Amino acid sequence: MSSHEATKSLKKTAAKKALAPKAGADGDPTPAQKAAFAKAMYEGVKPGIKTARKIAQEKSDKAKSDAEKPVQKVEILRKIAAPATPVETPDTKRALQLAADIEKATQDGDFERFQPEAQQALIGALCRLYSANNDMGNHFGAVGQRSAVTATDVMVLCGALLKAVDLQVFELGLWQSWSSR
Amino acid sequence: MAEQFVCKSSEFKNGERQIIRIGEEEIGVFKHEDEYFAYSNFCLHQGGPACEGLTIARVEEHLRADKTSMGLSFSEKDMNFVCPWHGYEYDMRTGAHVADPKVRLRKYDIVKKGDDIYVVA
Repeated sequence: MSSHEATKSLKKTAAKKALAPKAGADGDPTPAQKAAFAKAMYEGVKPGIKTARKIAQEKSDKAKSDAEKPVQKVEILRKIAAPATPVETPDTKRALQLAADIEKATQDGDFERFQPEAQQALIGALCRLYSANNDMGNHFGAVGQRSAVTATDVMVLCGALLKAVDLQVFELGLWQSWSSR
Repeated sequence: MAEQFVCKSSEFKNGERQIIRIGEEEIGVFKHEDEYFAYSNFCLHQGGPACEGLTIARVEEHLRADKTSMGLSFSEKDMNFVCPWHGYEYDMRTGAHVADPKVRLRKYDIVKKGDDIYVVA
């Protein structure tokens, strides 16, 4: 073999070596490592070996730190009472039943079930009762929480009430500002 | 997650609420129709005290066959609670926002052991 051919052969071998896949070079485990891993998985952690001691140590450290942690306590910040429910007197029960009947008639579109005279009597009586309670210091909202009264409903009735006693809106405004109501 | 004792069920009336703190968490515990619900007291809108506002029945609109409105009324069975800051309204049973159910308060499980009520937090 000439020196030229020998150099050529060496270069070829070097190239083959460089191109050959190197086990473990790109982060993949070697076949030996794979076999060791499979064996370890199959056998599990044997007591007494280094890994078992390490796991036991970690467990004991965690238990210690858990024991040292302060126990979380429930601190009651606020208690919010239930909304007031009406006292069930027979008259209150009757009035609530009547209100429910009126509401149902309105929902059903049965607007003539209660004649105008009955409506006038109810509105008048309630107006006087509410005013008397207000004077006595029993202040409460004119409409309860569970009511579907709309802003338009209120404006219609307020307008009709003012008209019924020949009052103008500006007189209501004057009275409210003078009496600080 | 551990069970944290809140109170005795006999001391907790229907319609009442308790605002409690467990660690860093502020939680609102509700009792509604003998059922217990617990939610984060941190409104998803701007961090207001979501569980401390009004409790109010859900507003339902009744429609005729031609889809015109017959008016609004309060639901007989569904209850909502409203954040007092800006009125974000949440369903009492799920903690979901009424308008956008994808938005919901963090819910905590309630465990009842005999007469004792626990929140899992």
